[in-house]
This record gives sequence, structure tokens and C-alpha cells, in this order.
Amino acid sequence: MRTRFKALAALAAVAALTLAGCSSPSGEPAPGGEPAGGDEPFKVVAFTSGNQTPIGAWWVKAMDAKAKELGWDMTMIQGDFDFQKMNPAVESAIGQGADVVVDGYTDFASIGSIVTAAKDAGIPMFAIDSGTEPSDAFVLNITTDQQGIVDQTLGAFDKALGGLAGKTVMVIGHDPHAGIRLRASLAEKALKAAGAEIANGEIQKVESPATGRTEALKLVADYLAAHPDGLDAIWVGWDDAALGAAQAVKEAGSHAVVSGVDATSEAIAGIQAGGAFLATIEQPWPSILDDLIKQIEAYRADGTLPSNNFEAVQANLVTKDNAASITPSDKLG
Amino acid sequence: MATPASNTPTSTVSISAGGRSVGRLLLQSGTVVALILLIVFFFAMRPDVFLTFTNVRNILYQVSILAIIAGAQTVVMVVGDFDLSVGATSALAGAVTGALLIGGVPIPMAIIVGLIVGLLIGVANGLLIAYLRLSAFVATLATMTSVIGLAYLVTEGTTLFNFPAEFNNLGQGRFLEIPLPVYFAIVISVVLWLVLRFTTAGRRWYATGGNAEVSRLSGVNVKRARFIAFSVAGLVSAIGGILLAARLGSASAVQGEDNMMFSVAAVFLGMTVVRSGVANLGGTMVGVAIIGVMSNGLNILGVNAYVQQVLTGLIIIAAVTLSSLKTRER
Repeated sequence: MRTRFKALAALAAVAALTLAGCSSPSGEPAPGGEPAGGDEPFKVVAFTSGNQTPIGAWWVKAMDAKAKELGWDMTMIQGDFDFQKMNPAVESAIGQGADVVVDGYTDFASIGSIVTAAKDAGIPMFAIDSGTEPSDAFVLNITTDQQGIVDQTLGAFDKALGGLAGKTVMVIGHDPHAGIRLRASLAEKALKAAGAEIANGEIQKVESPATGRTEALKLVADYLAAHPDGLDAIWVGWDDAALGAAQAVKEAGSHAVVSGVDATSEAIAGIQAGGAFLATIEQPWPSILDDLIKQIEAYRADGTLPSNNFEAVQANLVTKDNAASITPSDKLG
Repeated sequence: MATPASNTPTSTVSISAGGRSVGRLLLQSGTVVALILLIVFFFAMRPDVFLTFTNVRNILYQVSILAIIAGAQTVVMVVGDFDLSVGATSALAGAVTGALLIGGVPIPMAIIVGLIVGLLIGVANGLLIAYLRLSAFVATLATMTSVIGLAYLVTEGTTLFNFPAEFNNLGQGRFLEIPLPVYFAIVISVVLWLVLRFTTAGRRWYATGGNAEVSRLSGVNVKRARFIAFSVAGLVSAIGGILLAARLGSASAVQGEDNMMFSVAAVFLGMTVVRSGVANLGGTMVGVAIIGVMSNGLNILGVNAYVQQVLTGLIIIAAVTLSSLKTRER
């Protein structure tokens, strides 16, 4: 009996410590869904499913810093790509009262129940990179211009290869990520329009971002084994997989060039090394976050909502010429 | 001219027995036959490519890390358990080694620490399962979860890179035109095979996996046997993880996470190779070869990745069904 009591007490202590550790540093939000006014703290419910990615992890830290600076009472919910866990937690936080909800890097397709909860409570949702097209889910979603990303990377190919017509290009995408899915299909379309041939006739799909590098490495290595010197370029939707593609090119002794998106330190180092990795894309997340915060603060001040619910910001091409001046996306904070 | 139908009853019986033995032979060697059929099929589809030196080397290179991790899984499955944490252990070992290398630690020391990390995870699994009697599923699921968390802490959620060239050479270098990981995989597989086949420890593992209670009554220290099996699996998984970091020149918290699933699949496929239907290293290597040949062949034919996944699952179902049919027959 005594042992059982001790075990129960220990369990309770662990649970209490865990709950204390998991709670928001800015304190528990007060109940009610009224807009902020007077001396009441501005209550923000922020969430991201991508907190385990370098950019998601930066965003969590950056939001925390902004909340402290602006005196927000912010609850940050981190979902680890587990919507079954994250969505109810966000809905519960909304139910306890908030002035705005902020979505970081989580596609609106995955958060339908959160959107409904926020609408029911009359709370506006702001978002950063949470969909590639306008959606009524948000009063504002700022992301990067996917067509611009494609135009710039293919422009780099065009320059390096002396034109795209007649060239064989492999396109590697990942369907579950809305941004990658869109830009891969835009790349495929643009390449076909430019007269290039798509390797294997369609976009090559990587199944898991966690194994993106090895999957891309295999895809390219197998293709080059079957078609030695059969690739002129490999367009990849994100850097980690692009690094695998570049390694396969190097190992096969191919002359193909590779582009990625994200501007991670490793990709930038690869570009600077002058190997197969030709270019990547820097997405200006810090300035995008600043713009988003401005809009949230405008709403906080007098209830002004953004005039458009979608903004696509121009991203920057990173090549050997400017690689040294770029802050890698995994070193943002 | 006499036809088989005009044979005597005796010969009819012999044909029937022969048919049954052919069926049994097919059932017995179904997985090996499947591997041969896959090779023949892909060779027929792309005779100019599939069995060229470059492509065979390509396949061997691609499956070398999986072969090592599947070897680790085989040891655990021989004792009748399985280890869900092999992929996470390999990722953490690679991440720790990578972090130490970036911190300027000499290569041998960084590798040794990575191996110790893997061994410690194996020891923890062994303690939980053999001595605290947790189910292997629960214990290794829990350690997998914690180990992935540790890997995120070590890598700070990023990808570690910029390792010394000498380290990367372990995964990317070649000897006689064959990538070094292929040699490592062969050496580790042979060592594990020798241990399983010819040592007392190996026989105790098989005895434990066959019937733990009978083994215990026969004087086998079942707890120690399971403990050592999990410890070995942790250590061998770490070797795979360190080689993967060297092969990619980078390390992340989730690197090679599909190795867990494929290692279990390879062992299951391999279990169908032997008459007894138990895990065995030779069979596991046949399983690894099937997975590698399938992936490479389908890539060469340009088959959609999603279709590939469906086919891989179907092959595993077929193999496990075959295995259960054999068990029933016994």
C-alpha cells in the first residue's frame, strides 16, 4: 500500500513538473475572447507544426522574443508535425481566450478545425508561409513567391547550360509540402515550355522529408546508372534533397548542375565549393515576420485588418557570386 | 510412345510426390526464387543497364548501411524480440560523432564515442527488456522516442556537416572501385554470421528465441542472452549510423529513419529462406538484396515512388504469408 502511495506521489510530482515545464513562459491566458483593450495584455495563440525544422525552430524563438518585446501574453504551441496532438491544443488555447491566432509554417489544409474554432470565437488568424494561395482561413498569410523561385532557379540553369531547350532535367518534389508541391509543378511546366525534357517524364517524388537526402541520392544515382551523362540539371524543391542529388552527381562523375531552395549553410557551402550545387533560394523570413508583426500590431492598436489576405514576397537567388553574404536559414537565430 | 497418363499407378504416385516436392521446394526457397526472378525481370527490361558493373556497385552501395542495421535487427529477432530503436540509435550515433568532429575531436575518438553511445542505448534496451521484463515493443518504442529527442538536442534541430575529409572517406572512399561501406557491411555480416552459427552465445540466442522457458530449464541464462543481444544490436546500429554520416558527409536527428522499417522487413523476408523459419543472417542479406534490387530496378524503370512503396509492402506481405505457410506445414 505504502509502495503504491509512493508511486502515485512520484507520478503526480512528475506530472506536475512536466506540466510546469510545458506551460507557456508568458503565463496562462485568461478566459474570454474579447479584443484587447486598456491595460489588458494582448493575448496571442501561436502555433507551428514545423518546430523541428531549422526555420520552424527559428520562428518559435523569434516569436517569443517579439512577444516579450511587445508585451504580448503569448501561448506557443509546437506540434512536431503531429496534427492530432497540435490541433486540439490550439483549439483549447483559443477557447481560453485570445485576441489573435498566429500560424507559423502550417498549411491551412491541415488545420481546418483550428480555423473553425478561431472563426467561431471571432478571432483573426495571421500566418507566415501557411499556404501557397489566398485562403479565407487567414486575415493575412505572407509567404514567398513560388513562381519567382522557379523563374530564378531555372534562370540560373539557363545561364549555366546555355539555354534549356533540348536539355534533360530531373525535377524532385515532395507532395505533402504545399510549397514544394506547387513550385515543383511550376518548374516542370516552365521546363517543358522552355523545350527541356523531364527525366522519367514526370516529377520524381521523395516520400519523407526525413529521408529526403538519401531518397534523392538514390533517385539520381539510379537514373545516372541507367543513363550515364543523361542529365543536364536537377531541380530540387528543397536543399536537403538537393544535397543528396549533388552528391549522386559527384559520385557518378556527371556534369549535371543542381538547384535547391532554402539556403541552408550546407547548401551555401556546397555552392561556394564550386561543385554540382549551382544555386539555391534565400527566403527572407526575418523581414516577412517583421511585416506580419506590423500588421498584428495595427490590429492590436485599433482593430485594423490587412487589406489583402495573401502576400507573396520575392525570394533571392543564391549563387557563388553572393553566397558569402547570405545568412543561412538554419543560422537565423 | 507412352504418355505420362499411360503410366502405372506407381509412377502416378511418384509424379504426385514429385509435384509436392517441387511445391515444397518453391515454398522453401520462395524468397530466393523471388530475388532471382526480380533480377531476371529487371535484366530483361533493361539488359543494357541492370547487371552492369556500375549498377551492381550502385545497388551494393545503396544497401550497405541497411545491411549493417538489418544485421543488428537479426540478432535481436533471433532471440525472439525486435528493436524499434535501431534507426534512432544509428542517427544519434552519427550525430554525436559528427558533433564531436565539428568540435575538433580526433576522428578515432569521435567514432569510439559514437559507438559507445550506441552500445549504451543497446544496454538500456537490454536492461529494460531482459531484467525489468518490459515488452520489447514498449521498451524500444520508448527508447526510440527518447533517442530521437537526444539526437535533436545534439544537432540542435539542424544538419551537422563539414566533417574532416578523412572521416567522409570512410563512407565515400573506394577500394578496387568498390565503395568502402560495402566492405564494412560484408565484414560485419560475416562476423555476425560466425557468432550466430559457431559460438555458444549464438546458440544460446537461437535457443532463447526458440523457447525461452525450455532454454532456461536447460541452463541457459536467458536474461543475459537477451541483454547481450540488444547490446550488440545497439553497437552494430551505431556502426551503421556513423557510416551513414560519413557516406552523406552530414548528420541529422532523423537521418536514415526508414532503416528501422526496412531492417525488420529484411529479417522477415530472410526468415522465409530457411526451413526452420527463424531469423538468420544469410536470409536477412537475401531480404536486403530484394529491397535493394526492387528499389534500384523500379527507379531505373522510372516507376513512380508511391507505386514503389505499394509494391514493397506487397512483397513483404507475400514473404510473411510464405513464412506462415511454412510454419503451418512444419
